[in-house]
Amino acid sequence: MHEYIIACEIFEQVLATAKAHNASEVRSVTLEIGIFTHVNPDQLNFCFGVLAEGSIAKGAKLRVKMRNPFLECECGYRGQVSELWAEKKEELLSELLEYATAFKCPVCKKQARIVGGRELIIKSIDIEK
Amino acid sequence: MHVIRMEHDIFKANDKLAEKNKKNLDKHGTFAVNVMGAIGSGKTTLIEEAIKQLKDKYRIAVIAGDVIAEMDASRFQKLGVPTVPANTGKECHLDAKLVEIALKKLDLEKTDLLFIENVGNLICPVDFNLGEHLKVVVVSVSEGDDIILKHPLIFKTAELAIINKVDIAEAVDANPEKMHKDILSLNPDVPVLLTSKHDWESLEAWIGFIEIELLKAKKAHATEKS
Repeated sequence: MHEYIIACEIFEQVLATAKAHNASEVRSVTLEIGIFTHVNPDQLNFCFGVLAEGSIAKGAKLRVKMRNPFLECECGYRGQVSELWAEKKEELLSELLEYATAFKCPVCKKQARIVGGRELIIKSIDIEK
Repeated sequence: MHVIRMEHDIFKANDKLAEKNKKNLDKHGTFAVNVMGAIGSGKTTLIEEAIKQLKDKYRIAVIAGDVIAEMDASRFQKLGVPTVPANTGKECHLDAKLVEIALKKLDLEKTDLLFIENVGNLICPVDFNLGEHLKVVVVSVSEGDDIILKHPLIFKTAELAIINKVDIAEAVDANPEKMHKDILSLNPDVPVLLTSKHDWESLEAWIGFIEIELLKAKKAHATEKS
């Protein structure tokens, strides 16, 4: 189970940071997860909850925000990407970004490339001292 | 309540370690191939066939990753190549740390070609770079010809895609041509090979691909050194 080892890693990092700040309790952990990762937030939450039992992070909430990739173009555009900009192919079965291979830049209309979406970032933790 | 900013990217930490592995491999001129694919797709057999054909010309080693890796490892050991079983325990993929540990058990100075057989899985290995030079995805027709579109991301990251066991396609009602088209719809530039262990020519295409990539890397390595 993939989420378990990731939860272990998050737990270790969170606990080390909390201890370094003399925390008595971790109230919540804020995460950003790229949509191109294979991480299920519900499973991650469950695993983290089990791991945190009996520690200062017991009962801490995992606040998860999914993160979209960016579109980057040689004209200098770097910004949000919409599946609507995907160059449509007849056989394309899904509107999901995961399936699209080519995107048009919203500014210059040339082909742009997709970057990111593979992150799993521990953004911050809320602690009690 | 105090908010502590962390900005720690778990996957980037793995990527950094993967980069370190790659530098280590490059230092010794070892070309590493990460072979991914579902359970029973034929990863071990394809690697075995490549070893049989290439072991007299090149020094080959294998990292066999699995929940219990000794079984596959013994298949490679029988062929007389150094093999390190990388047991993942309960994990569904190899990560850069496990590969770093396995690399320490190999004499890279005496290794031209390293096969890393990943755990049978089309999902989890995608998130973890290992430091390899070539990512290969093996899929067999018996997984059903709709398997590719169900797992878009692994086929997007593949640098070589293999549709295996095409000799039994009819028996399992699968259309290898559809599978081929699906792969290209996700990754238009990826080379695709159709293979069967009963069709020698198809195996030669796979082995030839590896040899060409290995020679390209060797040439680049030699130019860098001089």
